[in-house]
Amino acid sequence: MAGAEGFVESDNAEAIITRIEHKTRKIESLLKQFKPVEALKTALEGTYAMTSDERCKSAHWIVVHRAIMAIKDVDGMLSSLDPEYYDILMKYLYRGLATGDRPTCDQCLRIHEKLTERAGHGCILRFLTDTVNTV
Amino acid sequence: MAVIAVHQFAQCITCHAWSPDQSMVAFCPNNNEVHIYRLVEDKWEKVHVLEKHDQVISGIDWSARSNRIVTASHDRNSYVWNLEGSEWVPTLVILRLNRAALCVQWSPKENKFAVGSGAKTVCICYYEQENNWWVSKLIRKRHDSSVTSVSWHPNNILLATTSTDGKCRVFSTFIKGVDAKDSKKGTSSDLKFGELIVQLDLSSSWTFGVKWSPSGNTLAYVGHNSMIYFVDDVGPSPLAQNVVFRDLPLRDVLFVSEKTVIGVGFDCNPMVFAADERGVWGFIRYLGERKTVSSGSTYGSQFSEAFGKFYGQSKHGVSNDAVETSKTRGAVHDNCINSIIPLGQHGILTRRFSTSGLDGRIVLWDLENEQDLLEL
Repeated sequence: MAGAEGFVESDNAEAIITRIEHKTRKIESLLKQFKPVEALKTALEGTYAMTSDERCKSAHWIVVHRAIMAIKDVDGMLSSLDPEYYDILMKYLYRGLATGDRPTCDQCLRIHEKLTERAGHGCILRFLTDTVNTV
Repeated sequence: MAVIAVHQFAQCITCHAWSPDQSMVAFCPNNNEVHIYRLVEDKWEKVHVLEKHDQVISGIDWSARSNRIVTASHDRNSYVWNLEGSEWVPTLVILRLNRAALCVQWSPKENKFAVGSGAKTVCICYYEQENNWWVSKLIRKRHDSSVTSVSWHPNNILLATTSTDGKCRVFSTFIKGVDAKDSKKGTSSDLKFGELIVQLDLSSSWTFGVKWSPSGNTLAYVGHNSMIYFVDDVGPSPLAQNVVFRDLPLRDVLFVSEKTVIGVGFDCNPMVFAADERGVWGFIRYLGERKTVSSGSTYGSQFSEAFGKFYGQSKHGVSNDAVETSKTRGAVHDNCINSIIPLGQHGILTRRFSTSGLDGRIVLWDLENEQDLLEL
């Protein structure tokens, strides 16, 4: 089953990468308008779609990383973020923490603390147990 | 307060079951024995010890009408115990398993029982009068991993199972000679033993604790990813709802009414879920008391300490007091609750239930005083 999906995906991968490029431009413009929360929402949207392709995942990560690093007011961001995005944000935070890069880790750790307060340990557990939709 | 009584029976309890009149409780104190205690003038006395299994007993069920106890153990065996005089006499049931038995339940009519095992099979056992022994029929197909929990539909034929492969399945366990064919409903294909009626693939993590609602219309089960799944109209086109919740995963659930479910698990505190008028399920509240760790207080629990160290690494300062933990000091259970059993007659809706956990306690609960929950 995984093989067949991979076959279809290599066509889709190009489409996804193009979509990610569009997203990057949109996010850059949002950041210039000092709307980091909107940028993060845009970045997190649609990240699940059909990605077991590593290139797509990396491209998505680069976009989300850009948006995460631009956040200054973590509390404000989390207040205006829809709860449905908590789980996917948590997954990207762990990816950020895994990079080992000092500024990224600091930022991700800051957001992780606040996100855990809001979303609870369940959010962390859903990241740990979800082996299907990885980022 | 919802808690009626807290009894500390052992260091750790794996499973428990009540006698039909609730005067006695049988449980396994995390060894190869079953201890039966009777309440004698406000004190619990150990009246029986059932010793036959070689390894820890993972499931006990006590039938309400026929007063039989069935036990299932990691030693791959199951025994049916009958009370003869003042002694419990075991009858070995040859399950034909090559892995541990993990859970067991009597069917509503008590003429069959189901055992889930680590051998990726479910054993349906029934009594054969001519040979005076229990026969086991295996459902070998379909499961990709251990069967963690089984639950009987009120019609005595359908069985729901959950497994560590993340799926919940409903099988038919129709056995000729034991079950009567219901000519009104069901096509003949549904009535074949071991027939898979529906397979629910909602969770990507281990699933536990499946239960049917009293009418048999709704299924509820939990995943190890801190989610609980509700499935209405179980059949060819089921309506599934995934409910996400804040805290640690659940292990077992119980329907206290058609629209209210109590979940228990690693939070040591039962959670109440209910369906509103539109049929949408959601988390209502915890049952026991919860004290959140207030800011400025010392890190009483291990969680807070660990989080303190975690966030302390960041050069942007430490603000770990605000991390809320649901492990309260002085809570009723202080370790994982792994079992929830209704108190009262089988099949009749009850507001009283008991929970047992890894802390060795059995706690009795009553929803009588929980006004907001009774109105749901």
